Amino acid sequence: MPSPASYLLLNPAKPFYLRRLSHPPTPPYPSPRLHARRLHVSCDAPRGSGGVGGRREAIPAGASKAKKQIVFFDAAPPVAQPQPQPQPQQGGSAAEKGESGKATTKEGGGNAALALLRRATKKTLSALSNLPLAISEMFAIAALMALGTVIDQGEAPSYYLEKFPEDNPVFGFITWRWILTPGFDHMFSSPVFLGLLALLAASLMACTYTTQLPMVKVARRWSFTHSGERIKKQEFADCLPRASIQDLGVILMGAGYEVFTKGPSLYAFKGLAGRYAPIGVHLAMLFIMAGATLSATGSFKGSVDVPQGLNFVIGDVMKPRGVLSVAPDVFNTEVHVNRFYMEYYDSGEVLQFYSDLSLFNLDGKEVMRKTIKVNDPLRYGGITIYQTDWGFSALQVKKNGEGPFNLAMAPLKLNGDKKLFGTFLPLEDSDSSNPSVKGISMLARDLQSIVLYDQDGKFVGVRRPSSKLPIEINGNEILIEDAIGSTGLDLKTDPGVPIVYAGFGALMLTTCISYLSHSQIWALQDGSTVVVGGKTNRAKLEFSEEMNRLLDKVPELIGANHENVVDSKSTAT
Amino acid sequence: MLFATLEHILTHISFSTISIVITIHLITLLVRELRGLRDSSEKGMITTFFSITGFLVSRWVSSGHFPLSNLYESLIFLSWALYILHTIPKIQNSKNDLSTITTPSTILTQGFATSGLLTEMHQSTIIVPALQSQWLMMHVSMMLLSYATLLCGSLLSAALLIIRFRKNFDFFFNFKKKKIKTFFFSEIEYLYAKRSALKKTSFPAFPNYYKYQLTERLDSWSYRVISLGFTLLTIGILCGAVWANEAWGSYWNWDPKETWAFITWTIFAIYLHSRTNPNWKGTNSALVASIGFIIIWICYFGINLLGIGLHSYGSFTLPSK
Repeated sequence: MPSPASYLLLNPAKPFYLRRLSHPPTPPYPSPRLHARRLHVSCDAPRGSGGVGGRREAIPAGASKAKKQIVFFDAAPPVAQPQPQPQPQQGGSAAEKGESGKATTKEGGGNAALALLRRATKKTLSALSNLPLAISEMFAIAALMALGTVIDQGEAPSYYLEKFPEDNPVFGFITWRWILTPGFDHMFSSPVFLGLLALLAASLMACTYTTQLPMVKVARRWSFTHSGERIKKQEFADCLPRASIQDLGVILMGAGYEVFTKGPSLYAFKGLAGRYAPIGVHLAMLFIMAGATLSATGSFKGSVDVPQGLNFVIGDVMKPRGVLSVAPDVFNTEVHVNRFYMEYYDSGEVLQFYSDLSLFNLDGKEVMRKTIKVNDPLRYGGITIYQTDWGFSALQVKKNGEGPFNLAMAPLKLNGDKKLFGTFLPLEDSDSSNPSVKGISMLARDLQSIVLYDQDGKFVGVRRPSSKLPIEINGNEILIEDAIGSTGLDLKTDPGVPIVYAGFGALMLTTCISYLSHSQIWALQDGSTVVVGGKTNRAKLEFSEEMNRLLDKVPELIGANHENVVDSKSTAT
Repeated sequence: MLFATLEHILTHISFSTISIVITIHLITLLVRELRGLRDSSEKGMITTFFSITGFLVSRWVSSGHFPLSNLYESLIFLSWALYILHTIPKIQNSKNDLSTITTPSTILTQGFATSGLLTEMHQSTIIVPALQSQWLMMHVSMMLLSYATLLCGSLLSAALLIIRFRKNFDFFFNFKKKKIKTFFFSEIEYLYAKRSALKKTSFPAFPNYYKYQLTERLDSWSYRVISLGFTLLTIGILCGAVWANEAWGSYWNWDPKETWAFITWTIFAIYLHSRTNPNWKGTNSALVASIGFIIIWICYFGINLLGIGLHSYGSFTLPSK
């Protein structure tokens, strides 16, 4: 049974760095004591074979990955070497200090004003990227939003005057002034709220710039450590006596780590994307905020109630919402409501609303036709038409075979969930001398059934418009021919939607990636002992569990010279 | 009718199993731990899970839409999600403290949903036009999964707070509910003491060591669980926003439910940020997460109780109607 290292050595796809490592240019570690010992095959067979099962499946993964992960020392990026130049080591404050210092020395004499400006910018940036500030901003925004749901929004000032009277304040101090002065009657567009959001956006940008981006630079430098003490100081640290760093490297590779070795030191990492993703989260938030701003300033909105069979021009309905709203050409399109109808459940409740719409351009040519419903709007040239409401427009009635007359329906009860429409068919000629004309009243909750009352207000019967069944009221034969509904449409143009959606997509992706934990492992061959240390930024418990599991797999070498371990093992098996 | 009977049977099975499991837990706490009883409580959880799943499936088949159209169904789904959370670590065979939180949470949610309090709304209702969309499945299931995850995470944080400031919480013992809560926490603590004792670590056995280790672990787990819940909440809210842009005419309407979901999101964002400061890690961030626990309930229940806004279909129908 070949050991993992020998497997890789026998494998044609043998990683280059391992080959180089087995003949290290400067092998300081095999101690003279170990050299003197007689070379013999690991007698620790049970431990080795115990790990074999697990290793066997781990190795092909490592070997196949090795192709990607082979690192040629010569090709190693220069950042691998610690540069003496001042690099931002510890986030924002260090970077800022170093750079502001540079600025003053460079331009101190000539352009003091510019340097001052620069310093002021730096100061503002560091003040904005301050974590407590950002957290208090978020708390304040959350509190204002909560307040916005508690206080009724968008009522007339008199409503607040009545509800929060000055002589009897709520909780002893809240009067209408507290609500109207900061604009809390329209919380989500009040200057206080929008200002806080803008401040938060500024903090987001400052934090990304001063703290997160320097962290990327630090994280990108995969650094080797030559000090065992520093490795031992890591959150997770362990010493493996009689182990080889190459075996460790192979095992880490099998566990999905990117492994780099140089001389006696090893550096491995995993989940680097998890380190970068929070930047993406912040950028996505900024994207969404930018898109929302564009939506708020550059959109048009309108709503219209159109009886079936009539038409309207889009531009007549739309109202600009902000200063940047520019009317597109398609505003001269005419919309014709071909048909409005509803589908019902057996129980009589509304299943769905449908509007069959046709769009005509200036030349009277039909450019689009679609039946829209709730959850399925019409989109044309940047305009979206939603099905949102419905109404009862008119009732077509035949009286004693005459007609049909169109009776306009009036909404009777607007508050409450249920709608009620009514109309009146006079049976006498009305004149000024007789204001109380008697006639037939008709009420309807929906387009399906009409309830009829006679001139004394007594219930007569219910008729369906589709039944064509006449009804006799006060000696008149009434036939309900048709019920004409009107469709309530909402229209909008919103240039911010693509940007907001891009932000949404990015936010979903980056928050998912942010769940990944960036783990880093350092190891150093110190004589026959391997010192391993590692840290991770998120899954700390899982990391130490994983490390313990992986380190258990590292084979123990008994009395073998480090260089010869691999060969002796491969020949022995 | 067949489905109604089936649902009825499944509800009763799950409820009675849960009563038995609660009894077992109480016996374990008050009398002594019996190995056999512990196994059977686990079996009881599995039975409950299958009956809840069966209930949801039969609802789906009989009503023809995803069973998340009212509060009752969403509560059942919530306890189902809690159960899933309970099972995942079991499958991965990684030992953690989640099950001590998820078991009682599942029990309480399921018990509340199936108890007589809400019988009025047990019937499957028709689905209003605004809900007839494929987004219903995505948005609501994501939201409920995230609520379940975040509830677990914030309960772990609350447990941390209670353990750290045990003395200050003594007066809570008078309250029955808190008693139940502390019972589970003391259970965790007990398990921990046992496990640590078995490990026979070479550390000096100063008295606070177990407590320290326990709070560290709780902190770490609540961070992981809340991170997961936060991801789910983000996806849920954004799916909702995309759906709103299809159905209501704008991706954001400042509807009370939306706003409270955003407040929840903000609170847990604060939690995640507070952890980047080493001084605030632990107590302060746990405090934020515990606030988040209350906020989730306001978002999930409180808004529906008020019955305001566009999300009002998920609300209580009061028996007086």
